[in-house]
Amino acid sequence: MAPEEMGKVTQRLRLWFAISSVLFVVVLAISPVKDLRHEWKQYKRAYVRYAESRPDTKRLLADYNPDIDQVWIPEMNVVDRCTTCHQGISKNSLADASVPQPFRAHPPIPHSIVNWGCVICHRGQGPATEVAEAHTTTLAWEQPMLPARFIQGPCGSCHLADRPETPKLNRGRALIDRLHCTGCHRLQNIDRPAMLGPDLSNVGTKVSRAWIYKWLKEPRTIVDADGNTVTNGYLTEEEPRMPFFKLSEDDLRALSGYLSTLRSHPMESSSINAAVLAKWAKNPETVSQGETRFRQMFCSTCHSLAVTRAGETKLIGGNIGPELTKVGSKVNPEWLVGWLRNPAGYLPHTRMPRYGWTDEDLYKVTRYIREQMVDPDLLKGVPALEQASPAEIKRGRELFLEKGCSSCHVIEGVPPQKDFGPDLSALGAKNVSQLDFGQSKIPRTLVSYIQAKLTDPSSVNPSARMPKFNFAAGDLDAITTALLSMTGPPATSALQHQVVPRDTPTFTAAGAFGEVYTRYRCYVCHKFNGYGGDLAPDLSYEGSRAQRAWLISFLKKPQTLRPTLVLRMPEFNMSDKEAATVADYLKMVLQHPAVNPDEANARASTPQLAALGKQLYEVKYQCQSCHTIGSGGGYVGPNLNNAGNWLTPAWMEAWLKNPQALVPGTIEPRRAFTPQEIQALTAYLMTLRHSGPAAAAGRGAQ
Amino acid sequence: MNARLALVMACLFALTATSACRKKSAAPPDPLRRAYDVETDWNDPQKMIPLNYQEAQGKRLFYADCVWCHADSTPAGPSNRSNVTPAPPLMNDGATLNGESDEYLRNIIMLGGSAMGKSAMMPPYGQTIGEKEANQLIAYIRAIAQPPYQPSAKPQSGYPAKQ
Ligand code: HEC
Repeated sequence: MAPEEMGKVTQRLRLWFAISSVLFVVVLAISPVKDLRHEWKQYKRAYVRYAESRPDTKRLLADYNPDIDQVWIPEMNVVDRCTTCHQGISKNSLADASVPQPFRAHPPIPHSIVNWGCVICHRGQGPATEVAEAHTTTLAWEQPMLPARFIQGPCGSCHLADRPETPKLNRGRALIDRLHCTGCHRLQNIDRPAMLGPDLSNVGTKVSRAWIYKWLKEPRTIVDADGNTVTNGYLTEEEPRMPFFKLSEDDLRALSGYLSTLRSHPMESSSINAAVLAKWAKNPETVSQGETRFRQMFCSTCHSLAVTRAGETKLIGGNIGPELTKVGSKVNPEWLVGWLRNPAGYLPHTRMPRYGWTDEDLYKVTRYIREQMVDPDLLKGVPALEQASPAEIKRGRELFLEKGCSSCHVIEGVPPQKDFGPDLSALGAKNVSQLDFGQSKIPRTLVSYIQAKLTDPSSVNPSARMPKFNFAAGDLDAITTALLSMTGPPATSALQHQVVPRDTPTFTAAGAFGEVYTRYRCYVCHKFNGYGGDLAPDLSYEGSRAQRAWLISFLKKPQTLRPTLVLRMPEFNMSDKEAATVADYLKMVLQHPAVNPDEANARASTPQLAALGKQLYEVKYQCQSCHTIGSGGGYVGPNLNNAGNWLTPAWMEAWLKNPQALVPGTIEPRRAFTPQEIQALTAYLMTLRHSGPAAAAGRGAQ
Repeated sequence: MNARLALVMACLFALTATSACRKKSAAPPDPLRRAYDVETDWNDPQKMIPLNYQEAQGKRLFYADCVWCHADSTPAGPSNRSNVTPAPPLMNDGATLNGESDEYLRNIIMLGGSAMGKSAMMPPYGQTIGEKEANQLIAYIRAIAQPPYQPSAKPQSGYPAKQ
């Protein structure tokens, strides 16, 4: 090779060498530059700038660290680097909503971030150091942060017992329980109750085939905004538990045919003399007297009726039992009489009490129901249905099993189906890749999957057997929250130790009291030692609270103690013996340990003491802001006009000392009364006595 | 050769460029959908106010203990407000309550009206609820106030997190 050519090559090589060296340096520099521009470092610097723009810079930067911050709790699998960017999270002065995110302080919550980290509650990817990786779903991470409106879900993964702080979760759990999702699904910590839907063994005696047809076709009970009935009755706040199955015309015919033939035993028939009946029938007041009885018995405490006033239709009444506006057009008359006489004779587990009706009352009330609570259009649009053919009956029975009806409904001789639907006990921890979104266009997240399934199961899977429910938006979020709480067993043993179990109290009432208690279904509204409903006062300590004579007269003729209450204790027509049995049991068994009757009874009350009490009541403490005595006062607390006949002095003293010790969560504020003030107030309250018929009746029964 | 050089340079440029520009995060979600709970604006039933955990607990306590006297309708129907004198301020009455300090509100809630030289009809709650709950109530009172409550030493807002 010629030397000049050699020189050229060398020159070229040199040039190449120079260029590649420069490139090499540039490439080397990429990494530190990239590192400097890391998202989290930008937030770190922005925080310093922000802190410097505020007067409390020193305090805000006291524990500043230019590197990645993390909460590391190995025993709970927590490696959370969220505080790298959320640097003000525990700085009180950054609590205001005007502080820009991600620097704002976390609102105070019962758990400290140091002990729990963030991800246990919020989910997301704790160790991530990039905004998208930490918050959203990425290829490598399938558990994005929960939208904050579902944040109560994770509370429920450890707190299996309901807490007052998490109303949405509690509501969701209650709905899941009430709607009997457990009929088909296995769910964490919610047991399958003994009875789900009504027993259908005898449904043929209750309703016609046409009604069954209509119900299966449109189980919704809705009235539209103009007051026009759309389907079977009225929209109640409570979702009817019977969901909407999309059934074909043939299916409707077959199922209604099959069900209408179910008559396992005849209803108890009445044995009233025909002449007596004829006499009652002639009474022109029968229907209006029936209505009066219906009101007096306070049926509306459990059942609602639609009332139209000034063009607006509203449901008035409780929701323990079904809405009754049109029940007269629904049920067979013989069934109605038999049911009212003894509900358990038709449905052994019903919550409906067995009233002590006289035959005449029963006659009037059923006449009222059959003549006034009706709707001639109830069965509009139902085709003419004759006696069911054997083929229809056979097909109906097959359908009953195919559709999973026997998951919720019992029919004698038909085996129950358990776990008909998929197991949902760990749904809340599912990864997106474990969910089948089918052809649907919804966002690929667990939350949207759950909500789409709940809103319309067939939107995700066109052949889903799951029926359609019709949830209000708030309830949809509540149920989603509760489902998100079901994440299966805790991931680590440290978390396992945090689990607060759910307790399921039971109360067994034995002997003569047990019979009365079961007959009148006291537990549907009242609680006894933690077991029972919460519509009416907790009776666990009623024996310490009320005087025996008052209890008896109240049971015989309940009056309301709180004028603001719409829902009242029904009048059961209890016998004297039953009322005495209840009163004796309450006085003997349902006592509060902190209420000592002997001590209070031994204290002598003097007129001076009572006068001092009156003074305290009216001037110093102004109790009249909530309680009524005479005709003046507030109506937040009970009316005290008859306190001297109603309450025991021992209860009053203990109550005034510390109301929450006797009834946790009562709204009566606890005061710092001196012992002398307590005695004076008690002495005054004991002088307040009605001398009306109620008190006399009470004394008579004793 | 020049083409090759250009190619290498282009690749390098692309590399730095992609690392520099980042995915822009989506628009901030609706605050109501991110809230722990919501409360209807008492003066405007169409408007919802988002509540954080603290404020939501205050709402729960309010509807248990205070609604009877400090609102015109209650969960049980009629209000007791007309039975007490003087008529207590509605709990969202910003014109009255925004001017009061947290300290004062905490005191009247905990110690009652008579301890603060006000009507004894405002009961003391200090033995029934704790300071934590009183603060939750105050947070709720501040959240629902109309006109809205503005804390006195308000730090500047709208500071950009990124340059
Ligand atoms: C029995 C009725 C009643 C109940 C219950 C009640 N308050 Fe009051 N409250 C009043 C009355 C009356 C006043 C007015 C006192 C006055 O101005 O003299 C008042 C005043 C107040 C004030 C002060 C207003 C001001 O401008 O000074 C606050 C704050 C307050 N209440 C909060 C509460 C909270 C919080 C609760 C619930 C824990 C509550 N109240 C429960 C009757 C009640």
